[in-house]
Amino acid sequence: MPDPAQDVLHYSATPQDAHQKGRRRWRPQWTARMALIPAMAITIFCFYGFIIWTFVISLTRSRLLPVYKFTGFDQYGRLFANERWWTAMQNLAIHGFLFIGGCIVFGYLLAILIDRGVKAEGLFRTVFMLPLSMSFIVTGVIWQWVMNPGLGLQEAVRALGWAGFEFNWIVRPDRSIYTLAIAGIWQQVGLCMALFLAGLRNIDPNIWKAARVDGIPVWRVYLHIITPMMRTVFFTVFILMSAIVMKAFDLVVALTGGGPGFSSDLPARFVVDHILNRQELGLGAAGAFVLLCTVIAVIAPYIYFELQKERSGRGH
Amino acid sequence: MTKLSKVAALAAFLSAGVSAGALHAQTAEVLHWWTSGSEQAALAEVRKVFEASGGEWVDTPIAGGGNARAAAVNRMLGGDPAAVFQFSIGQQLRELADQGLLANVDKVASEENWDQKLPPLIVKAAKYDGDYIAAPINIHGENWMFYNKAALEKAGVDVPKSWDDFVVAAQKLKDAGIIPIGLGGQPWQERIMFNSVLLGVAGREFYAKLYSTLDDDLLDSDTMRKVFETFAALKPFVDEGSPGRNWNEATSMVIKGDAAFQFMGDWAKGEIIAAGIEPGTTVGCAFAPAIDTAYIMTVDAFAFSAMDGEEATPAQAKMAHVMLEPDVQIAFNKKKGSIPARMDVPADSFDSCAQTAIRTLQDEKTHLVSTGLFGVPSAVSGAIDDSISNFWNSTDMSPAEGQAQFHQAISNAK
Repeated sequence: MPDPAQDVLHYSATPQDAHQKGRRRWRPQWTARMALIPAMAITIFCFYGFIIWTFVISLTRSRLLPVYKFTGFDQYGRLFANERWWTAMQNLAIHGFLFIGGCIVFGYLLAILIDRGVKAEGLFRTVFMLPLSMSFIVTGVIWQWVMNPGLGLQEAVRALGWAGFEFNWIVRPDRSIYTLAIAGIWQQVGLCMALFLAGLRNIDPNIWKAARVDGIPVWRVYLHIITPMMRTVFFTVFILMSAIVMKAFDLVVALTGGGPGFSSDLPARFVVDHILNRQELGLGAAGAFVLLCTVIAVIAPYIYFELQKERSGRGH
Repeated sequence: MTKLSKVAALAAFLSAGVSAGALHAQTAEVLHWWTSGSEQAALAEVRKVFEASGGEWVDTPIAGGGNARAAAVNRMLGGDPAAVFQFSIGQQLRELADQGLLANVDKVASEENWDQKLPPLIVKAAKYDGDYIAAPINIHGENWMFYNKAALEKAGVDVPKSWDDFVVAAQKLKDAGIIPIGLGGQPWQERIMFNSVLLGVAGREFYAKLYSTLDDDLLDSDTMRKVFETFAALKPFVDEGSPGRNWNEATSMVIKGDAAFQFMGDWAKGEIIAAGIEPGTTVGCAFAPAIDTAYIMTVDAFAFSAMDGEEATPAQAKMAHVMLEPDVQIAFNKKKGSIPARMDVPADSFDSCAQTAIRTLQDEKTHLVSTGLFGVPSAVSGAIDDSISNFWNSTDMSPAEGQAQFHQAISNAK
């Protein structure tokens, strides 16, 4: 691997500098590294240090305040016997799958449609990206009103004449988790669309010309040629949306409040609720650590796989 | 707080620190979560008297009980405690006392003989190691049933006295096109209704024994099963839009006549009064149907941070004294909708519902407390909330299954 230091010397060294003996040159990359030290220190201490602290707390019986009396893996036992936790993890899987899948599919379709050339493209882009300007709280409140059986869509459609119309998912324990995906996709699809659009715009137009010459139908071009070329964009979108799913807390609070009972609860809300409202610091910490392990177990292989692909140059 | 008042408060603190003695001794920062109209008005009554007697009140309102409690604890841990903070009496407060973070107001309490003036259960809950760590300012009752008189007349039903009567009355109301129970579908509201059913079906001794011991036999008993069966029987009488609804929206349903009954604490009375209705006229109040008379009490209390040492500072002692003064108790509670924590306050100026409550409390046998005050840790009471809400909202759980899950949740959380 070429030594960057040598490159620097090669481009900016003067004969006088090269002759200065007994005095080490201040290399520019040392300045860069020094500038990074505060950021690194904060990351190591605040991020990794506190992850370790959370794990330590999860081994204690801490209630309201941290108490360092170790009880082994008791909290994990209590966590895994907790029905609300299992519901939350299940919901995370359902919501994650629907939200990420929905954002990718709808975002990609919208990007394709816009890329094919529409009049007033700027208008469409703005319209689809407007929901992004709202916080999850506002999104949750709006959709809660829309999906409320007595006030929202169900009532409106019934007033129009369809007396048997039902859309009361938000008040049904078995369906409330899907409402989270609806509101979440509505909000985030604009971002995915923008990223996919940027990726599509980067496709070499010659590919299209070649495909037309070969007589390949358009849907085939998209499916077999364009989509594999967009691999890095898919990866980026997946990572961004996964981060949003893992942190999904304010959406649950605003939209369903945990749903009828706790049917639409998510792990992040479970952890925050137990730490702040239930005074169960140890249990919440255990939940947070299990959530971290789940994320690592699911995301890390994908990241590793993708980065390997890039390094071996088969991605592009 | 506006920027100006923040600067003013800072200046007050700084100047209080500089001028030794008198001024510093009388400044008290009060952290609380009473941000709604009636609550602010009620607290202003306390502030008036405190400031009139030479104290300086620094107000720190934080919306949301959970947020305010978390802020109070964080500040204590961070070394900048609020002198007086609103808190729920119970396990959490004990834990803070355990860590030496609280000041006790025992001196004021023994001077004014709080032991005699407050209900015994509340005395027990407010003490830690024999010292008073909290000043209870009022008593709210949780087993109230508010009803719309016109709605009952329209369906031709009387105010039910037993739960069997209630189910019959509810069916008549439903047939008349009125929503029988206006319920806000949040776990704590479902729990309040459940506790009313528990008290009503099983009686006050069973209630007290259950929540003070969490005994396995009681949890598995047939009485408990009957409670769950009665609770499940109420499901058809709640409208579809109930999940997630706020308590005050449910109260306004009863005020307007869309719903007939609401099972809620008497803070709903504050809402009714704010709507311009005298309790007992258009909207009536009664205890939830029960086999014996009892009052499930819950208490709003203020605790005191250890500022320097465990003795209360003069400002804190003054605050504790002011809060329990008879005149302040009357003025505060009339605006808040609750009844005084002191049992020796004259009841004539209160509305009819409050007078019923004060009269009931004269008999010590009726005294019951909400789950937290029995010393049930918030993890367990949280698990109780979860399992009640889960049973209430499930479509396929039988009462026996609900009872088993209730027991399981409590065992896990202990």
